[in-house]
Amino acid sequence: MSNQKTEAYARALFEIAQAEGSLERVEDELFRVARAFESNDQLRSTLTDSTLPADRRQQVVEQLLGGKASATTVQLVSMLVTSGQVKEMPVIIDALVKRASSEKSQEVAEVRSAIPLTDDQQKRLAAALTKATGKALNLKVVVDPSVLGGLVAVVGDEVIDDTVRTRLDQLKTRI
Amino acid sequence: MNTLVAALLAAEDPTVTHHWLLPETPEIIYGGLAAVLVISALVKFAGPTVKKGFVGRTERIQKELDDAAAAKVKAEDDAKGIRAALGDIASERSRLLAEADVQANAVLTEGRARIAQEVADLEAKADADLAAARGRSTDELRSQIAMLAASATPIVVAQTLTEQTKTELVESFIQNVGAAR
Repeated sequence: MSNQKTEAYARALFEIAQAEGSLERVEDELFRVARAFESNDQLRSTLTDSTLPADRRQQVVEQLLGGKASATTVQLVSMLVTSGQVKEMPVIIDALVKRASSEKSQEVAEVRSAIPLTDDQQKRLAAALTKATGKALNLKVVVDPSVLGGLVAVVGDEVIDDTVRTRLDQLKTRI
Repeated sequence: MNTLVAALLAAEDPTVTHHWLLPETPEIIYGGLAAVLVISALVKFAGPTVKKGFVGRTERIQKELDDAAAAKVKAEDDAKGIRAALGDIASERSRLLAEADVQANAVLTEGRARIAQEVADLEAKADADLAAARGRSTDELRSQIAMLAASATPIVVAQTLTEQTKTELVESFIQNVGAAR
């Protein structure tokens, strides 16, 4: 997918969410959906299966997100599925998140953790990363059991990695 | 034949007075004189030729004797040369044998040295191969242990990590990042 097309879809999602007045929540929910789409093979193969009718895949989205995400989020994901852009969903959503962050003069900080972070932990983590990078950050936390423990934060090109997985990889390399 | 028959008939003749075998006396005298004349003529005319023939024969015999002596001398010289040559052949044979012995010893010594070197090289190569094989085995074992450890460690760590530990790791990250700058 071209950058222009990605940006066009991202702008459309952004404007819809903004018009609905739930940009921050939608953006956060879409970010989680994108990460789940990336990490869950079954979900990805189901939503990208062209042999399944679009309305069936839309039903799957509604069953998965219904009650857990806002109606706007569900509608936006359904729109991407029915328009045949589901394969590019993570890229589009990342562009949306980046655009939303830019609107707030923030930079996206993607943090992966083995366990869900509490609000307090997220606030302290955002403050710590802001202090470390010197940038206003839009924190996005992804629960990723593969990191085993600890956190890895990606802010732009900067990576702050203190995960058990990375330490094990280093240990494996040393062995 | 007729003369003989006549002689035999005459012998039986009683009128014949002389001996049946001997001639008449005058005949003996004439015959004797004739014989003397013939012999004298032979001595006078054929004698020098005969003498010359004897001298020539003597000279020829002497020459043959001289030739024989010279041939003998030459033969002796040849024999001496042959004996000397035989001596040379013997010495040459001895020299060749000695030289062959020297060369054989040299070849043997060189061969032994080469074989010893080859054996030493083979031993060194065998040692190197053994060391390499030992090293490979050690490396393979180390690699297998590393692979097993690398495979097992995440599982063990994941099972060991409690929620408490994970929370502590998160807190540790926040504190470390916050204190970094």
